[in-house]
Amino acid sequence: MSRFLSSVDEYLGDSHVLFYLSDAVTQLLEHKEEYSQFGVSRYFAEYFSSVKNSNHVLFREFNYITATPHNRSSFIRVFWRCYRQIGKSGELLSVLEFRSLLQLLCPDFPVEMVQSTGRIVLMDDAVDCLMSFSDFIYAFQLQLYYREFLDSVLTIYQDLLAGKSPNTVIVPTSTSVELLPPVATEENDKERQQHDGVEASTLAECVDALCDRFKHSHPSRSSMTEILAEKDKICFYSFLMSLSKHGGVNQDIGALPSMAELLIDPEMDQELDKLVAQIAVSPGSNSSGSAVIGLKEQQRKASPRRNIHHRRKMEVESDGSTEETDSSEN
Amino acid sequence: MADKEKRRSGVAAPEMPEGKATKSDSDREFLSQAGVGELLRGAILKMVEARSDDPIGFLADHFCHLASMSDRGAGTAGCGDGDQLSNGPLSAGAREQQHLNRALWHLRLAHHSQRSAFSNNVRVAYDLLNLTGPGKHSGETPEGQEGSCTESPTGGGGGGGGEGEGGGVRGSLYTQTLQCLCSEGGVPASTSAPLLRRLHCHDHEAVPYDVFRHGVLTCAVFSDYIRQAQRLYAEVCCPDEGPASRALCLAVLGTLKEALETSQGCDATCCVNANTKANVCLEANVKAIRYLKASAKISPHKLAAAMSGAQTRGPGGNMDAKEFENAAADLFITRVKVVS
Repeated sequence: MSRFLSSVDEYLGDSHVLFYLSDAVTQLLEHKEEYSQFGVSRYFAEYFSSVKNSNHVLFREFNYITATPHNRSSFIRVFWRCYRQIGKSGELLSVLEFRSLLQLLCPDFPVEMVQSTGRIVLMDDAVDCLMSFSDFIYAFQLQLYYREFLDSVLTIYQDLLAGKSPNTVIVPTSTSVELLPPVATEENDKERQQHDGVEASTLAECVDALCDRFKHSHPSRSSMTEILAEKDKICFYSFLMSLSKHGGVNQDIGALPSMAELLIDPEMDQELDKLVAQIAVSPGSNSSGSAVIGLKEQQRKASPRRNIHHRRKMEVESDGSTEETDSSEN
Repeated sequence: MADKEKRRSGVAAPEMPEGKATKSDSDREFLSQAGVGELLRGAILKMVEARSDDPIGFLADHFCHLASMSDRGAGTAGCGDGDQLSNGPLSAGAREQQHLNRALWHLRLAHHSQRSAFSNNVRVAYDLLNLTGPGKHSGETPEGQEGSCTESPTGGGGGGGGEGEGGGVRGSLYTQTLQCLCSEGGVPASTSAPLLRRLHCHDHEAVPYDVFRHGVLTCAVFSDYIRQAQRLYAEVCCPDEGPASRALCLAVLGTLKEALETSQGCDATCCVNANTKANVCLEANVKAIRYLKASAKISPHKLAAAMSGAQTRGPGGNMDAKEFENAAADLFITRVKVVS
């Protein structure tokens, strides 16, 4: 009902419709020969249908993917649908391997974001370690969806660590003053402090103040308060890791199922069983590996340059068997 | 947005020498040739009018509809003016069904309490349904026909051109629309049947806009009413203990009836006809007072008093959900004007 009370600008702004219209026109102009043979109405119909069905982010550039919350959650969901079988196989992958997977879906996906995700999962420790699909994807979701918010919180955290008094009404107690090291600190002290973190309550107050004035989206205050109430001291990456695993936060974003259901994919299981049966005829081949590679091959074929109908066909094929379950989830 | 505006502005010379045409000029030319500006403008206007919960979905449907219409035409781009006479592969029946679906979709967009948005949508739905079947209504609107729904056809007359714009929506389509509205609103067919009997028009008749609107609005309000009645019953009756006591239910229904009677004369389902602007303020005041009185009669306090009174005296036995619903529906339906 409130959409009637908001002004036209607000209504249009909230849904980012003008952004999508603008992008649609840009895409049309870039590929006019391909798209206009089916008629302009048909083109717009397909474009907006794919936006509605969250298929629109496939193979698009990073800027487009991060442009709207809907695009971000769609991309997370696409990543999940394409690669959940990796989770099932139990493989652990490194940051660079995950980045390669991401680049298959988004050619210019930056390594920095994948590295940030790695830091969340591995608690800023030994970033060469391997990660499970489940850990990675929830951390990735948090990092991608709330990117701006996390950057702000990191700044706040670093300020708190450095002993700066934040811009909120916080009366430093004697204990916290004691714990904060003097400016000229030794290496050991700094490292110890980084592991210990900051006062959770202080961080909670700062985060709350940030939410008051923050323009972009952020995780719900209740979930953050809940997490910060659990411990006395908390370090940045453990805070993020707890956030990424929080059921409420996951639900709010709405892209992924709960952890228990993350790897459930009966249709794809059947498809893979068939493939494995065929491949297993030739002995010595790594069946699960080639099945996954088979999937990757399918996705690599489709590119935005191809005729729009071919592209639709490829999209349907690459996640065709999962389409049934997912349309109801959507 | 500014960039788009630049692109949308029309280009003068269609024949530009290749060498001199810059990319943005040829872009502009392409866009104006394809009619993209008009297309998008129309889409945005419709979207802002409807203010659907799901603007992206709305646009997807809107463009799909346009695309399918132009596909059925000569396959030319941007053909969105509803030319229905083209020989599409669809049979008349299938086309009609498609229009019905589209019309129902429009009617679902806004709640009837949002009067202007709802009225706009009713208009769009009416126009859509009006376009079925070439030559069926033009010049044939039964003016002096007995028992017909039509007054003289409202300005939508096809002027004998047979372009598919009849003098009104065909009766059977109108009835179908009402049936769908009721069933989608969660009203079982048996409950809505008496209402539809009051509202329906004969299959061959052409239904003018006013009647169409009245029917649609009544059904929308009725669906809400029945849903509320169902909820009311759920409150009154504890599911574990079986159906609610008859006395209680009768008391509740009695209060409801009283409230409806108090508001009579305002006719909760009638629309503020835009043509009768005279004394609107005075009328509105009187109506408002009546509504306030009516709502006072059905306040929780009054209802509780009626219910506690009924528990001590009154007929025994139970009333189940269906009976309650039918009785509540009855209260509503007796107030609906019969379309004659």
